[in-house]
Amino acid sequence: MNQDLVILLAAGMLVTAYLMVGQKALFTAIRLYSLQSILLGGVAVVMGLSDHRAHLFASAGLTIVLKGVVIPWFLMRVIDRVGIHREIEPILNVPSSLLICLGLTVVGYRVSTGLAEGAQGATHHVIGAALSMLLMGLFLMVTRRKAVTQILALLTVENAVFLVALGATTGMPLIVELGISFDVIVAVLVLGVLVRRIVDRFESMDVSRLSKLKG
Amino acid sequence: MTLLLWTLIVPVGTALLGVLPVPRWLKETNLVGGLALTFALSIATAGRFLAGSTPTAFGEVLRVDGLSALVLVLSAFVGLMSGAYSVGYLRRNEARGLVSPWRRREFDALIPLYVFAMLLVAVSNNLGILWIAVELTTLVSVFLVAFHNRDTSLEAAWKFLVLGSLGLGFALLGTVLLFASGRGLLGEGMKGLNWTHIVAMAGRLHPLTLKLGVVFALVGYGTKAGLAPMHTWKPDAYREAPSPAGVLMAVGMLNGALYCLLRFHLIAKAALGPGFSGGLLLALGLLSVAVATPFILIQWNLKRLLAYSSVEHVGIMAVGVGLGAEAATFGAMLHMTYHTLAKPLSFFSAGTLAQLHSSSDFEEIGPGTLGRTPVASALFLLAAVILTGSPPFGMFFSEMTILRAGFAGPHVAAVALFLSCLVLLFCGFFYQVGRLILGESPRSPARPPQPERLDAGAAVTLLAAVVAVLSAFYLPPGLLDLIHAAVRVVEGQP
Repeated sequence: MNQDLVILLAAGMLVTAYLMVGQKALFTAIRLYSLQSILLGGVAVVMGLSDHRAHLFASAGLTIVLKGVVIPWFLMRVIDRVGIHREIEPILNVPSSLLICLGLTVVGYRVSTGLAEGAQGATHHVIGAALSMLLMGLFLMVTRRKAVTQILALLTVENAVFLVALGATTGMPLIVELGISFDVIVAVLVLGVLVRRIVDRFESMDVSRLSKLKG
Repeated sequence: MTLLLWTLIVPVGTALLGVLPVPRWLKETNLVGGLALTFALSIATAGRFLAGSTPTAFGEVLRVDGLSALVLVLSAFVGLMSGAYSVGYLRRNEARGLVSPWRRREFDALIPLYVFAMLLVAVSNNLGILWIAVELTTLVSVFLVAFHNRDTSLEAAWKFLVLGSLGLGFALLGTVLLFASGRGLLGEGMKGLNWTHIVAMAGRLHPLTLKLGVVFALVGYGTKAGLAPMHTWKPDAYREAPSPAGVLMAVGMLNGALYCLLRFHLIAKAALGPGFSGGLLLALGLLSVAVATPFILIQWNLKRLLAYSSVEHVGIMAVGVGLGAEAATFGAMLHMTYHTLAKPLSFFSAGTLAQLHSSSDFEEIGPGTLGRTPVASALFLLAAVILTGSPPFGMFFSEMTILRAGFAGPHVAAVALFLSCLVLLFCGFFYQVGRLILGESPRSPARPPQPERLDAGAAVTLLAAVVAVLSAFYLPPGLLDLIHAAVRVVEGQP
């Protein structure tokens, strides 16, 4: 029962990643990221319940509060300030992007079978979903041009790494996880500050305009 | 409170004091004094190690072995040099109205904070804390890269942060997979991520998961070290960062990231034998040296030239470690030391040139700078001679050590390629420097440079020159002991 729930939640995270690839409105993409983080917190809660590991609850709470609420709220504020709400036409159109992501999912699942616990049950699916998300995050990063979308891609990669941590281990030590979460939130703040400065200077959030430095 | 903790607390205290709105002389005293104290404490910590004890804190989360002690002392040295140079650097820029009081306070806090993060990297025995410390260096340096707030600074800072965060994401995944490969063995809690603990268990880790983890960690920390092909942020960031921050990135971050690479390499070596991660390091190192060659030949900016030279040097160190012979490892550690001692000179003299000519682009500085700004140009020429590994300076000997060990080993073809790249790099670097410094000076320069003065910045540059030259002929015995101790750690000897 618990195993099925974990698989369901991990699959849900993968679905949010797919929706993000098919999405151009920045607000919706941020809400999808928020949903994805809450699902990640859910995975930690269910695992904590079934294995009786108290520290997983702490990390779940941290994930839901920081990544589910605080970071999305901050990113929305950044978008509101700069007044840009839509991603321009991505370098690759949506249908072909989705098709490529399908291929990436197959690759992620294939790799997950080689890992220590990969061959059996729930862990296989969780790691498979996590590696697929990781690859999709990288894909988003190279095909999108808006600064905020690139931040979301980075955060998706980061969520994927946490999902691997939950699936392949029983979670990192709590202090390490606290430190990592703190660093992530500072990174997002720094990125937000930079986006504001970039918009002030270039009157655009299009990072493909940042192309003076070459050679 | 132990000595080790004080070494880490002092730079944080310096950073906190740096934010205060106090008169300039007090700020300068705080910055230089705090970093000098940090350097002294690092030496004392390394001295404790050499005396036979192993300084630890928080139950082996922080631990100083030979490798840590060497990186600790080198990082603290660079921190002190950078702090001392920034006094003169900021005075010049303030005189030209380029630095607002708010920016100045930001700068005074960021530099010691960066030093703190570098030292934390050097002493952390826990792979999780290691990751956190490296991420901290990234976040701090973003603001240093964006310091001048030009279009190009923002571009460089953005690229740096996105690429750096991605690299660190990979490094985190590598750490997680490494932890996963010892599921059920390493236990939970902080101890499970302690490097000493993992190395002791290395033989029983799940090999395939470990391999995957090591690859991700090498790519991730390799991005921070600036190994090709993950080096693309380097030229942009070096060009835009103020020179005192540039030297912290070029030496501090490079040494720190190499330290992380070595820690993962050692785990892989203990578990899978030397071939796997050693081969990867050798390949990445060779690629870095090879990639740096053409870019140095077409370079158009002084600081970007230094960035590609730094890609070359990290490549040399990676090759030295990757070859796997003890003599080559010794060469790599020696190279790291000489590189650290010589790099400040190149950054400070290049920074002075850029400030005097108000640009670091070759076009703007123009050929024949020796006639217009003789002292700074001569010092940069000296730095070029040292950095390219010309005899009788230190890097010639460390490169020779690596080459000799390489030709004696099984990878002769790779080492031959390595040697030819080094020769090409030598010629390319001198072609550029010769063009810039010795070329014919235009009769009526478009923008006459400011006159050279013996100010605080020039004094520190001269000091850096003395250190760089003297180190070729005399290394303190304690430093040599540290190098040998670091080699013993890398070779897995007690």
